Amino acid sequence: MNNLFQYVPGHSLIHRLNPVTKIFLTIVICIAAFLTDRLLFLAGLLAVDLLIGIVAGVANRTWNIFRGLLKIAAFLFLLQALLTRKGTPVFWIITDQGLLTAGKVVLRLVVVCMPLALVLAVTRITDLTNAMVQVMHVPYPYAFTLSTAIRFIPQFLEEMAGIMEAQTARGVAFDKARGLKKFSMILPLCAPLLISSVRRTDQTAVAAEARGFHLRTRTSGYKQYPFTGIDLGAAAFCLLLLTGAMLL
Amino acid sequence: MIELEHVSFSYADQGPSVQDVTFRLEKGEFAAILGANGAGKTTTVRLMDGLLKPTSGRVLIHGADTAKSSVSERAARVGFLFQNPDRQICKNTVREEVLFGLRTVRGQDGEEALQERADAVLKEFSFTGEEEPFSLSRGQRQRVALASILAVEPEILILDEPTTGLDYLECCQIMDRIRRMNEERQVTVIMVCHDMEVVLDYARRALVMAGGRLLADGPVPEIFRDTDLMERASILPPQMIALGLRLGAGFERADSPEKMAETVLSLRGKEAAR
Repeated sequence: MNNLFQYVPGHSLIHRLNPVTKIFLTIVICIAAFLTDRLLFLAGLLAVDLLIGIVAGVANRTWNIFRGLLKIAAFLFLLQALLTRKGTPVFWIITDQGLLTAGKVVLRLVVVCMPLALVLAVTRITDLTNAMVQVMHVPYPYAFTLSTAIRFIPQFLEEMAGIMEAQTARGVAFDKARGLKKFSMILPLCAPLLISSVRRTDQTAVAAEARGFHLRTRTSGYKQYPFTGIDLGAAAFCLLLLTGAMLL
Repeated sequence: MIELEHVSFSYADQGPSVQDVTFRLEKGEFAAILGANGAGKTTTVRLMDGLLKPTSGRVLIHGADTAKSSVSERAARVGFLFQNPDRQICKNTVREEVLFGLRTVRGQDGEEALQERADAVLKEFSFTGEEEPFSLSRGQRQRVALASILAVEPEILILDEPTTGLDYLECCQIMDRIRRMNEERQVTVIMVCHDMEVVLDYARRALVMAGGRLLADGPVPEIFRDTDLMERASILPPQMIALGLRLGAGFERADSPEKMAETVLSLRGKEAAR
């Protein structure tokens, strides 16, 4: 789980896209997923997500993200299928309309989440921050906050795993409990996680201040992020996706 | 007794971290695992507690394979002090923290007995019990973590860099307490440590690792006197040993200030006799 948010070095077509284009492509896929109401189009968008992962040379990561989302998707599918009352019953209280709605909901969830995770796999966080500041004119403190929050996710997951390991060694039966019981055991551990998170955030803030964080402006970065031909191609593809989502 | 039989371990998508490690620790031993960063020391101690399962080979605690039981079941017999005490501390007061470990593994003893045990441990570690663990200094938090582990009276104590980030006094307080427990209750202690002075002062046996392999296993002073081994394992021996080796003329065997003084007096005696 930890490495799901870490950058995978590479020189693929997707890696070479401008970070802003990658953000734009991600947003377009999300908008398209919410614009369309057709199951087939959503399946097509999922195929696009998977294809992006394969072209970027991160097929394993893509598969891991997909597999991780499937667990949540299965739970949501079941919930939607059981709660939707419209349509003709096909099995017990499950209706055909319920199944269709559940299918759309989970496909939408997977389609939206995958590019968000993939963009982090193919873009360095620093590039993402710098491009947001330089190209999108986002104020540096906001871009830094966003990128730091993303950077902290794997660290917090690692910290949580470490806390659970330490508690297991003290006799807390994390290694035997399942489901709700395990969840109830995790709750008291939120205190040490919260304290370590606040402490880490505070240390990062102090370190950033000591390195002249407040002096940083849009022109501080030496690396430039120009748009190239592949970005134009990606933009055309985005346009195609949006048109398709609206018309189909 | 802990026994590692041809244990190897690899993390996912990485080369082997521990390769074919075999050794046996008897009851009451005080051993230290030495080596540079990435030598496989922490992985080895995590394998010993069953926090990691060996890729091949077996880890036996009192003859039972750790792969066949859970870590939480072993907590009453095996205590593990982590490098970062904040991962262990999860309660609002030191008393609650000590009681948490006791209730988890000694719940069957009854609340009254647990309270008595907590009182004794708090007194021993000079805590009132009402202190907030997260407001304490790093060294004090490490002492809280150690107190909550020792409260359950484990037979085996695994320490992963217990003195990192501590000042000299805090380091001595923690290590003296561990030595007392080792000597009085015959608790088996195995520690990973980068401070060779601490190793020389407290451990009796040293296991040297490099590149995931066990290079040497023997008494601490003997290990430190093997200059080739120290170089291969990228370890700088304690100053007392290094000085003794440099001086020669009988000082090679001096591994403490007392022995150094004894050697000086003996040499003076010989000189006077001549």
